[in-house]
Amino acid sequence: MSEGLSRRSFLKIASAAGAAAAIPGCEPVGRELIPYVVPDENVIPGVPSFYATVCSECSAGCGVIARVREGRVIKLEGNPKDPISLGRLCARGQAALQGLYNPDRLAHPFVRRDDGRLRRVSWDVATRELLGRLETAAKAGKDRVAYLARPQGPTFDKVAKTWLSAWNSTKAVFWEPLARPVARQAAQECFGRSDVPVYHLDQAEALISFGADFNETWESPVEMARQYAAFRAPKERRGKLSIGRSAYVGPRMNVTAAKCDEWIAVKPGHEAAIAMSVLYVLVRQGWVSPNSGFDIGTLKSFVQGYEPDTISQQTGVPAEAIVRMGQMFGQAEGAVALAGTDDKETHVAAFILNAVTGNLGKTVVFLEDAPASPYSPQADVDGLIQAMSQKQLDVLVVSGVNPVYSMPPAAKFNDALRQVPLVVWCGLVPDETAEHAHLLLPVHHPLEAWRDIAPRAGVNGIGQPVMQPVFESRDLGDLMLTTARAASADSKTVPWESMADAVNASFQAIQKQIGDKNKPEDFFAQALRDGGVYAEAKAVEVKFNASVFQNKPKPPGAGPDLALAVYPHLFLYDGRGADKPWLQETPEPVDQIVWDSWASVHPETAKTLGISSEEVIEIQTDQGMAALPALITEHVRPGVIAVPLGQGHSAYGRYAKGRGVNGFSLLAPGALSATVKVRATGAKGQLVTPLFSEDMMGRNIVEAMSIEDLARGVAPEREKAPGPYEMYSAFKYPTHKWGMTIDVNACVGCSACVAACYAENNLAFVGKDGVASGRIMSWMRIERYAPPKDQADKAPLLYITPMLCQQCSHAPCEPVCPVFAAYHTQEGINGQNYNRCVGTRYCENNCPYKVRRFNWYKPEWPAPLHLQLNPDVTVRGAGVMEKCTFCIQRIVYAEINAKTENRPLRDGETVPACAQTCPTNAITFGDQNDPQSEMMRRRKDNELRAYRVLNAEFNTLPSITYLRELYHEKGRA
Amino acid sequence: MAAAVSTTTAQAPTFADIDREVRRVLNPGGLQYWAWICFCLFFVLIAGALWTNQVYEGLGVTHLTQPTMWAVYITNFVFWVGIAHSGTLISAILYLFRTRWRTAVYRLAETMTVFAVLTAGLFPIIHLGRPWFFYWLAPYPNERSLQPDFRSPLVWDFFAISTYLTISSLFLFMGLIPDVANARDAAKGWRKTFYSIMSMGWRGTDRQWRHFSMAYLLLAGFATPLVLSVHSVVSWDFAMAQLPGWHSTIFAPYFVAGAIFSGVAMVLTLLIPIRKIMGLEDLITPWHLDNLAKVILLTSLIVSYSYICESFMVWYSQDAIELATFHQRYWGPQGYLFWMMVACNCVIPLLLFVPRIRISAVWLFIISLFVNVGMWLERFVIIEGSLATNTEPSQWRFYHPSVTEIFITVGSFAWFLMLFSLFARFLPIISMTELKEGIQWLREALRDNYRRAA
Repeated sequence: MSEGLSRRSFLKIASAAGAAAAIPGCEPVGRELIPYVVPDENVIPGVPSFYATVCSECSAGCGVIARVREGRVIKLEGNPKDPISLGRLCARGQAALQGLYNPDRLAHPFVRRDDGRLRRVSWDVATRELLGRLETAAKAGKDRVAYLARPQGPTFDKVAKTWLSAWNSTKAVFWEPLARPVARQAAQECFGRSDVPVYHLDQAEALISFGADFNETWESPVEMARQYAAFRAPKERRGKLSIGRSAYVGPRMNVTAAKCDEWIAVKPGHEAAIAMSVLYVLVRQGWVSPNSGFDIGTLKSFVQGYEPDTISQQTGVPAEAIVRMGQMFGQAEGAVALAGTDDKETHVAAFILNAVTGNLGKTVVFLEDAPASPYSPQADVDGLIQAMSQKQLDVLVVSGVNPVYSMPPAAKFNDALRQVPLVVWCGLVPDETAEHAHLLLPVHHPLEAWRDIAPRAGVNGIGQPVMQPVFESRDLGDLMLTTARAASADSKTVPWESMADAVNASFQAIQKQIGDKNKPEDFFAQALRDGGVYAEAKAVEVKFNASVFQNKPKPPGAGPDLALAVYPHLFLYDGRGADKPWLQETPEPVDQIVWDSWASVHPETAKTLGISSEEVIEIQTDQGMAALPALITEHVRPGVIAVPLGQGHSAYGRYAKGRGVNGFSLLAPGALSATVKVRATGAKGQLVTPLFSEDMMGRNIVEAMSIEDLARGVAPEREKAPGPYEMYSAFKYPTHKWGMTIDVNACVGCSACVAACYAENNLAFVGKDGVASGRIMSWMRIERYAPPKDQADKAPLLYITPMLCQQCSHAPCEPVCPVFAAYHTQEGINGQNYNRCVGTRYCENNCPYKVRRFNWYKPEWPAPLHLQLNPDVTVRGAGVMEKCTFCIQRIVYAEINAKTENRPLRDGETVPACAQTCPTNAITFGDQNDPQSEMMRRRKDNELRAYRVLNAEFNTLPSITYLRELYHEKGRA
Repeated sequence: MAAAVSTTTAQAPTFADIDREVRRVLNPGGLQYWAWICFCLFFVLIAGALWTNQVYEGLGVTHLTQPTMWAVYITNFVFWVGIAHSGTLISAILYLFRTRWRTAVYRLAETMTVFAVLTAGLFPIIHLGRPWFFYWLAPYPNERSLQPDFRSPLVWDFFAISTYLTISSLFLFMGLIPDVANARDAAKGWRKTFYSIMSMGWRGTDRQWRHFSMAYLLLAGFATPLVLSVHSVVSWDFAMAQLPGWHSTIFAPYFVAGAIFSGVAMVLTLLIPIRKIMGLEDLITPWHLDNLAKVILLTSLIVSYSYICESFMVWYSQDAIELATFHQRYWGPQGYLFWMMVACNCVIPLLLFVPRIRISAVWLFIISLFVNVGMWLERFVIIEGSLATNTEPSQWRFYHPSVTEIFITVGSFAWFLMLFSLFARFLPIISMTELKEGIQWLREALRDNYRRAA
């Protein structure tokens, strides 16, 4: 044996080599296992971390808790400390993750070559290019650089302005479509304020919405839905059990209207006239609050010409309906009128209605120190476009908006954009604007970056990065700060090094402002933990500006014979949601269409125009033309064609591109409606819906009862379920028996639960073809039925209910499974053992609720969407059944926590994703073995309203009890 | 040979005639025969390729949807199981009853049974989401101590079908022994070897005959309850479910009658061309056809009665959901399938009341085809229609078969016909033994026929 190698060390090396050779042999080839050499202190494999941050999907500004596993955010939930979300999120908030992990996100910086193709460049090259052009522009003169973006929080916007000033420019334009500038204009006119008030629907007894889709996209949907549910909840008002009375005035029965007592179908543009006419009724009846300070004489002359009869003739709305609304509004103790239309008059009229009934400061509250409008005035937008088209701009930076898609054609933005030598697009998924950009920079998703938000007085949220960036992106704020500093700006003009720094500075200012005495680090750390700093904002008394009564709105006239009403899509909103498959695949709750845009046409109109169902129609306005399939439905006013926004993308990723039409292309600037010509083309389109029939056929799937019956204590008569006949010995539930109580009356159909279920349980999306062939994978759906016409007086406008596995105690799915894949757990859940399932599909055949789903193909999540998958839930392969498990992984998580802490499980600790996110708390979850649980108490307190779906027919003993929807019996609204 | 035929028609066949005739058809046919086998094989291969693709891609290649989780595959399964039943009826039950006309047709029917069960047995596997785990339905010892759920009708099904396949195969092979031995004596080359193995040392001794008769009787006794039980169990796949349109106590007898109805029709569908192609008119006479037709007529009436009864019970119960399902079955978008089924199963077989039609091979062949179509439709209407119009109106969805499903269905027919055709040329498709035993009856039948013809 040679000197260098002893026998012992030879054996060591040999055995190590042998082991090294053998170990990879056990693993599939090509998989790398990299252990934590230095473990991240916050990452314990298998244990989630939670970070508070904010949702940036819309301007409502909900606080969010991000659940992070192994360094990846896998679920967003509302932040319970945040006064806006109160721990809940909407569908769009849930789907923000698919924006983060979108497979079409720009992964690297790109430069557009002269031939129009994109060339991948490094960040260094991109930054250098940008810097060079900016310096040249700054030298060339003032305002040669512009920034066009949607408001992204006060600090970020401040950074953007600072950055611009480094380039000798002030052209920062904060814009987004559907920002509803008219609301602020109306507030300015009526009260001399530039902020919008906050609303307290729950303080009202009566509500009229003039085109405000408050349960969907208006202002702050989560908060509004919560308030509306409280408004509609049965409670003692003036000694009588009652629910709020509400009416929706608008051209289309959306899900907001469907949850009201009455839908007043009007042509777009007639809302103001109806509001004025309601005001007329109030003034005539003397229902003017004495402390409103209004002069009756002024009011009388103001409403002159708005007699219900006259308005009825002009608008086609029955005069009785107007009078009824007036009565409802005038006699209520606490009423609120909301406006969401594109004309200022309606907003002013709504403010007057709130004011004359003395509801200012009660249901409509202006707050002290309200943040100023984050949006630039329209003049700035017009000025920018003008400067662009006159070649006065050298560099335009676009961030967070897609003006090429969402600017109306008349704004001529596209032409102007061509005149800009350098368009820098900073975003996530390259959209239509990116197609015209010269430099494309991948920037951080808000969940990867430092942000703050100030949606209203008293609410300051911090958006902290919750994970490492998914792509090779940088934060735009950081990029602006580094470039500004590189341009030899001193630390006075650019006082922050990074966005983190800037946000920290903003919160130090807030600390000073509220006079907090803690150390700044502690204050900031606490704010980070809480997701922000929340304080009760003081209400401020406002004075109504009497000069409003000098500008009397013109009577409406009959309006066009055929009008187009364009509305923001509940999920896709202005188009920004179209790149997220969850939002594309969740059916719009009323029309139940997925992955497409559609034109709602009333059957009468369809008959006049000769349009057949799903026929492609050409819509022509003076602004543009679009062709899309018609949906013949009674949920739109005759003479109105209603088209949702959101689709019609020519870029914006694989999920958005090439489906439907872009509603903005039909509209004049600032408008959401138009006069329209319609031509039936004869071509057949395809609208895809998972809904077969809206006729419930008298089955007790969704039930309703009148509030009058409830007040009388009379439950609707229903067939009694037979006594539980047991052939096998009954199941025993020694510890828990999980159950759910779903208040159908509180459900507003917002579908947040559906999206949350997709996120929590790794549900696959199947695309338009998949839904068309009846293979949608949602474990939970919003089921929508229409009452039969002859019973419309004794029913809500629509029946809307969440439908999911009822976790039956006599589950029809269980005994038919030949291999025990469907089994009953000791805690009352109809379990599904995916690994054991052979795919006979007998369980779904036998399920009366049709809530089990089959994997027809191997589900796919194009990378990096798969990073969102919840590691606690099996990803199912092809050929197995899957179903709702009451989020068993969350139950087990809570149970393990309780066990580690050596204590019994607390009520409310186990919450499935759907119940967790429900903005209206319609879904409560708990232990049926514990009569004191919130869920069981809710059942007991609402015994008259309780029912179980199809139990009398099938004796399934569901673990879900529904509470009946409530409606007003007669003389509705 | 034509001369031989003419002599035998003049008089009733002798033992020698029977031997000669049956041995003659054991001669594998010429090019046409092999072309036919290849034709069948072609479709079998197409179906096999499509199934392979289905296993690889997932069941998405079918047009099954969320509510209609079962459709063509399960229809085929029930259809083929049903076809099998008449074979056992003819070979076992009618044997126990000493029915005279069965002797000439029973081997054909019994063969059909075995191959139909073999075909049927494919479908539960084809239709599985994860067919590679089909054996999990069987109770077998395993280290995980996992057993199937004996409450599930699908497990009952597993047992019913496997028992049925075992018994009917045994029964077929048992009955074949003396005939194969007969063929062995005349065969040469590899056939001799093959028949020697198949005949298991049969020498025709008295002792062997005694044992044979006893064993045959016993197996007939075993098989008889299976005729009723197997299809009852198959019907419980549906009747045990809570689905309106499936959940009905009438299903077991109704399905058994339907099975015999469709099976006898299939016997005719096979028998008539074979009789023609192989020139077996002397052994399979109008007398046999007449009797088979009577069975069809009887079972058609029972099936019609069942339809009426089923509908009546729904109407009498006044259960809203059941009523809606049946309303859809009759008048819904796929109602035409139901009425086609009524025409095929209830109306057209009424023609068999006419004695002339009962002995006309052409008429019977056409009617038997209608019955086959009708009975396939019956299963489809029940399975797909009830699933499509389920308890949740929002979740209804009608189904149309995909190319894969159509070709796998076609392939199943090709598979069945291929196996059957191979059997018919390589093993005695007519029982010489029994025909000889009952030669007296055959002679009487022939005499009667002449009298009728005169």
